Amino acid sequence: MKTPRLSPQTLRVLERFVERPTAWRYGYELSRETGLKSGTLYPILMRLAKYSLLETKWVTTEDGVPPRHTYRLTPNGVELVRSTFANSRASARSALKVRRPAFSGGRA
Amino acid sequence: MIPAAFPRSVAIALLRFAIWIAPHDTHDWGHAMLNELNHVEGNWSALLWSLGGAGVLAKHAMLALILPGTHRRAVSSAGELFAKEIPMRKPAFAVIVSCVVASLLFFLVPVFRQAFQVSLAQWHDVFHVEHRVGSPEQDPELDALAKKAEQNQDAEALAFVAVRYPNQIQRARFADEAVHLDPNLTWLYVVAGTAYLSPSEIDRRVSLLKQWDPGNALPHLFAAQKIGATVTYNKESPQGKIEQSPAWKKEMDAAFQSPKLASYVDRQKQLDHRVLTHYRLDDPFQAASGENWYAFPNYDSWYCSLYAQSLLESGKSLEARGDRKAAFEKYFLVARFGQMMSIDGEYIFFMRKEMKEAYSRLGALSETEGNGEAASFYTSLAGQLDKSEENERKLMRSRFEGSDVSLWNAFLVRLSGLGILICATLLSLCALGVVIRSRSVRLASLHPSRLTLALGFGAAIGSLLSSAVLFVSYRPYSELFQRFLSKGDDAGLSELSNFLRDVQHPLGSRFSLGTWYVSSSMMVFYFWFAVTILCALALLIAVFRHFQTRPRAHAAA
Repeated sequence: MKTPRLSPQTLRVLERFVERPTAWRYGYELSRETGLKSGTLYPILMRLAKYSLLETKWVTTEDGVPPRHTYRLTPNGVELVRSTFANSRASARSALKVRRPAFSGGRA
Repeated sequence: MIPAAFPRSVAIALLRFAIWIAPHDTHDWGHAMLNELNHVEGNWSALLWSLGGAGVLAKHAMLALILPGTHRRAVSSAGELFAKEIPMRKPAFAVIVSCVVASLLFFLVPVFRQAFQVSLAQWHDVFHVEHRVGSPEQDPELDALAKKAEQNQDAEALAFVAVRYPNQIQRARFADEAVHLDPNLTWLYVVAGTAYLSPSEIDRRVSLLKQWDPGNALPHLFAAQKIGATVTYNKESPQGKIEQSPAWKKEMDAAFQSPKLASYVDRQKQLDHRVLTHYRLDDPFQAASGENWYAFPNYDSWYCSLYAQSLLESGKSLEARGDRKAAFEKYFLVARFGQMMSIDGEYIFFMRKEMKEAYSRLGALSETEGNGEAASFYTSLAGQLDKSEENERKLMRSRFEGSDVSLWNAFLVRLSGLGILICATLLSLCALGVVIRSRSVRLASLHPSRLTLALGFGAAIGSLLSSAVLFVSYRPYSELFQRFLSKGDDAGLSELSNFLRDVQHPLGSRFSLGTWYVSSSMMVFYFWFAVTILCALALLIAVFRHFQTRPRAHAAA
């Protein structure tokens, strides 16, 4: 499966999705939660959708107000996010392990 | 004060425009951003939201334009799938129209219109080949001015025309009319010179000039020039023996004895300024046409040098005979006349050698007489001549060759002018081709090919860039011209004149590569040669295609 480049901003967006993987999210809501401007957020969403990691849907929230575009991770997206975060945790742990021998070695 | 909802309205308009130019596959995202605007808190925040979103869509619009395949709309029918043309892309159309409108807006600025006219000067020789084979030239602007001047009996305007008119016979007539109307303009005969005039006409003008300004050396030089021409062309007196003619010697002696050498440059510049402003002539070529020659007297400098040499020889023989006083006078005449020929404090190179020798001789004679102060003065003057040689060379070079800046700006003006013409032609051809192929002028029905779209896009960008370059390159020269018109300030006329002279050479001429040099006339030849070859090729292709398609027509029938 082809995956997009995961920049720190993309990871921030994915983090928000991972919290509630089944929930549909609005663009403005994501912008406020991640602190990303529309000019940064939407290219990320577009890229994720292009790689089929994100699904989109138009929903009508109230009468007289235009429908809103909502976003949710696809199963592929959820899998990718989980593996990515798992890998990052593992690499963080291994980085800590690399440092630890110096202390343990010193003790031994 | 800005209404509170104004930023939000701008935000909505901006995003709508961005959606309009955006590629089809990003429309959903554009509407997503637009609809989210209803939920963005704060009007200014809404504007910032919109700016970000519009930026994203504009980026995709540009990408779609540069890489058309990356944003291809899903085909909806088999016919569309196999079509060679693509519908007119909105962003491409928006960019093309914006560039064309921006280029046309330049024409509202008078400076730009003048710049464009100046850039067209390079085509004059290309399209007026008959001028090169000697037929009398016309200048419509000068013709109109001459007509007005004759109707109004305006002596100054006639004088203005007389100095510039291309036809020599007409030129002489205008000069006579101007002097007849206002005898104070007799100096015009000095500016107009004696070229192409009959000996009797030269005599008449010289006589008038001598009466009008008796102290000036120039009428005597004109008379000597006429005698010189007569003697030089006489087979019995070969060239170089002019100094043996008593009549010539008499006139040259009178010239060297005259108290001043006036070429009436200031009078001519003031007259030019008055006529240009009075008749509101905005042609910089008319203002700067004589600038290179304003400071150069139009008499025969070679004769002056020749006579100075004979004076020096005479002084030496007088000195040998012991007549130091008479010798001193001869040397002094040469030195004084040489100083009268100075320009901006520098000495003209025609008399450098003679002047230096005269100063040296004057110094040596003063030393012999025991006048040490005078001797050191003349020796220092001779030394100054050596030192001023380099400055003089620079002065001459700047007058005749122009500065690097004017040369470069002239190149840019010619290049950008040519760019505008090429881009305008290309755009017209693309538009015509698309309309003919689509058989419609409705935007939605236009189906340009990718090549046509790319050519049109390039031509639109090119025309805008060329217009900007033309405006920026010409603006300083327009200011020089305006300064002369408004204040009579002629400080920049020389630079303007050099620039205008360079602008008239067709682009690509005066190009040299080793021993290969392309002159202006050769450039004109190459241009028409290339046009002929291209026409012949086009004809051949047309004939070839005609014969290629004919059998198919029969087959179809």
